[in-house]
Parts: sequence; C-alpha cells; structure tokens
Amino acid sequence: MLYMEELQDLGYEVIAASNGNDAIKKFEIYQPDLIILDILMPGMSGIETMNIIREKSKDIPIILCTAYGEYKQDLNTWASDAYVIKSADLAELLTTVNKILPI
Amino acid sequence: MPELRKDPISGRWVIIATERGKRPSSFNSTEKVSTGGFCPLCAGNEDKTPPEVFAYRPYGSQPDTPGWSLRVVPNKFPALRIEGELDRRGEGIYDKMNGVGAHEVIVECPEHDQTFSSLPVSHCEKILLTYRDRIHDLYRDRRFKYISIFRNQGEAAGASLSHPHSQLIALPVVPKRSVEELAGAREYFNYKERCVYCDIVRQEKAQGVRIVSENQGFLAIAPFASRFPFEVWVLPQQHSSSFEETPEWYYASLAEVFSDTLKRLTITLNDPPYNFMLHTSPGNEKINDYYHWHFEIIPRLTKVAGFEWGSGFYINPTSPEDATNFLQEALPALSVR
Repeated sequence: MLYMEELQDLGYEVIAASNGNDAIKKFEIYQPDLIILDILMPGMSGIETMNIIREKSKDIPIILCTAYGEYKQDLNTWASDAYVIKSADLAELLTTVNKILPI
Repeated sequence: MPELRKDPISGRWVIIATERGKRPSSFNSTEKVSTGGFCPLCAGNEDKTPPEVFAYRPYGSQPDTPGWSLRVVPNKFPALRIEGELDRRGEGIYDKMNGVGAHEVIVECPEHDQTFSSLPVSHCEKILLTYRDRIHDLYRDRRFKYISIFRNQGEAAGASLSHPHSQLIALPVVPKRSVEELAGAREYFNYKERCVYCDIVRQEKAQGVRIVSENQGFLAIAPFASRFPFEVWVLPQQHSSSFEETPEWYYASLAEVFSDTLKRLTITLNDPPYNFMLHTSPGNEKINDYYHWHFEIIPRLTKVAGFEWGSGFYINPTSPEDATNFLQEALPALSVR
C-alpha cells in the first residue's frame, strides 16, 4: 500500500495484486509496463511468479523487492531487471522504477 | 573399531566410523533442483545476464547473442563490488575494508539439462581452460590476492539453478582455509624438504588402495583422512603449485581424470549433489616448492552438525578405502599411458 501511494503520487498508475496467482492474472489482463514483486509471498514465491510471467513475456521489466539480501545468491533472480532491498526509505525503489520506467 | 586419522596437511583429525559401514545406496541423493521454468542462463536469454567478459563463440558472432558454447558473465547482483579501493582501516581492535572483489559465473554450456560429468571430455577441458584464463585476467588487477573457483551441483550443495555453471570469486585477501593449508604444507616442507602432496601422490601410487582414477598426468584419490563419504581429490602427478601456470597440454589430461571421477560419483551415488573447489596458491606466491594445487570434490551426502561445527572434527561413515572400491567398480579404469 505504501508503494502504491508513493508511486501514484509520482504519477504512475498502479494495480495491486494480493499474491502470485493474482499477479499473473492481472499481468495477463492489464499487460502492465513494469511489475514489482516481493520474494516471500503467501503461496507462490515471487521467484516462481516471475518465472511463470517470464515464460509469457521475456521483456516485461520486473523488479524484485525483498527484505532479504540472501536471495541475491539465487541465480533465478537474474530473470529480473533489478533487485531492491526493502527499506522504510523508498528512495532506492523509486530511483529504480524511474530508471526502468521514466515518467 | 572406529579409527582416528590425521590429515598430514591441515593436522585435522577425522573419525572414520567404519562400523557404520555406509554403502552408496544408504545415502539418499534423490533431491534435485527444479529444471522447469525460465532460465536466465539458457541460450537466447543473453539479455538477462550482464554483458559477457569471455566466451567461446564462432568467429564473427556478436557478444551476448546465441551461438556460444561457453560464456562467462559477472554476477548480476554481486555481494562484492569490482569498483573502488580497499581502504583498509581499523576501528579500535577491529579491522575492516571495503567489499571489493569480482564475482563471475561460468555458464558451462548453452544446454540446460547437461551436467559437468555428461559433457564431452573436450568440453570439460574448455571449462578448465576458461578457469585458467579468467584467473590470469583477474590477477592483472593488483587488488586481488586469491581467486576461488567452485561449483555447486544440486540444491543440497547450494545450487539454485540447474543450468550447468560454476563460479569464480576474486578476493582482496587470502581466505583462512587457504592460509592454513599453505601453512601446513610449508611446515611439512621445512621439516622434510619435500612437498606433502607429492609425498601423498607417491604413497597412494605405492599402496594403490585409495586411487579412484588416474592417467599419466593426474591422480584422483579418496584422501586418507577424508572428512566426508566419497570425498575425492584430483591432483597433478608432478609437482605444480599454481593451477593457472600449468602447461597447456595438461588440461586435456586433467579433463579426462576429472570427468571420469565425476562419472564414477554420478553412477555410484545416483547423481549426488556435490561441491568441487579449486585449491591453488595465492597470486603473490604462485610458484613455490611446498604447495600443490588440486581440486577437492565433496559429495553432499551427510549433514555437518553441532559436533563438526563445534570441534572441527568430522565423522565419516564410509572409509576412503571402501569408497574407492565402490567408485572403481562403477566404470573400467582409464588406460594409464
């Protein structure tokens, strides 16, 4: 929700998904310009979700946003375009979003 | 009767618990990394990796496009950064420096479902030559003191992706394990004026009870004080302190023994998870009389737990002599030319 508000304030249109399956469904319906995925989600993980989305589109930019640095060792994360460590300060995430999808 | 064995290099003691007498089938090694889904290392997905720093590809083909047979790329999300100075400093009694280093991934082939042991020997040679070339290139950077090359096969060994790959990390310091191994080898040399590994090669050849594979150039042995069941070391038969300074023709010979050893482990242990690591002299003492480079292959069949962590002692339920017998039975011996 915090991300949503911050990104909307910057002028982005944001669609939220409640889990991996929901994200895949919404990706197919809305064909967004960018996807931000948490890695630890209820049910399907962010990496599993990303792999399913990547099978459908190699080019859609994906940012993995997680509180955990250790997933950097997982080469599956390379399918993403950026890996951002969650923090109360959203500057890094917003900079990364702006780099991939300038407004 | 269990036996305590001492490693002549590190001085580490190992408990060979022979009464547990574990056979290969007692180790469950069926755990596999998922092979499905999108793979950023597969041919055609070059845009998902950082730009390649090295590749075997046909003359005239463009970097970062399909057509390669082996590729080396920097880690996309590295733990250490290549840019910047070390800036060594103290904070009271504590020492620290900037996290400078290089972390590269060697994508061993374009096909997802291969393993090191299923690749042709000539391709294994290509991989080993790539290790050599990357080490040479990275040591041009004076900040790097040690280059670690390793491979994780299977989830239990730390592999997150089943696409064949190994990794290289260039470090600004010599790691503790390497320092200890070098010190052990140097101490032995100072006392006996011989390389301890050369002595191991001579004794193993004379005794012939722990030789897993061999050709003219290389010997694969289950070490006398193996920490883990089916642990194997691959060593040059002649003294050689630095992997990357080994003459070119040796790599084909190494590939033959290395590939044969991994095939034996794969057959005997039903495709086990394993790690292999290169142990070689640091950049600032490449040529010396006391250290002897080698690969250590550790199948991940048992868990390291409290006793091992707390004491540095290992309990190995399969004697290296038994492991050798099982591995020898897997395939006919290579011809020693």
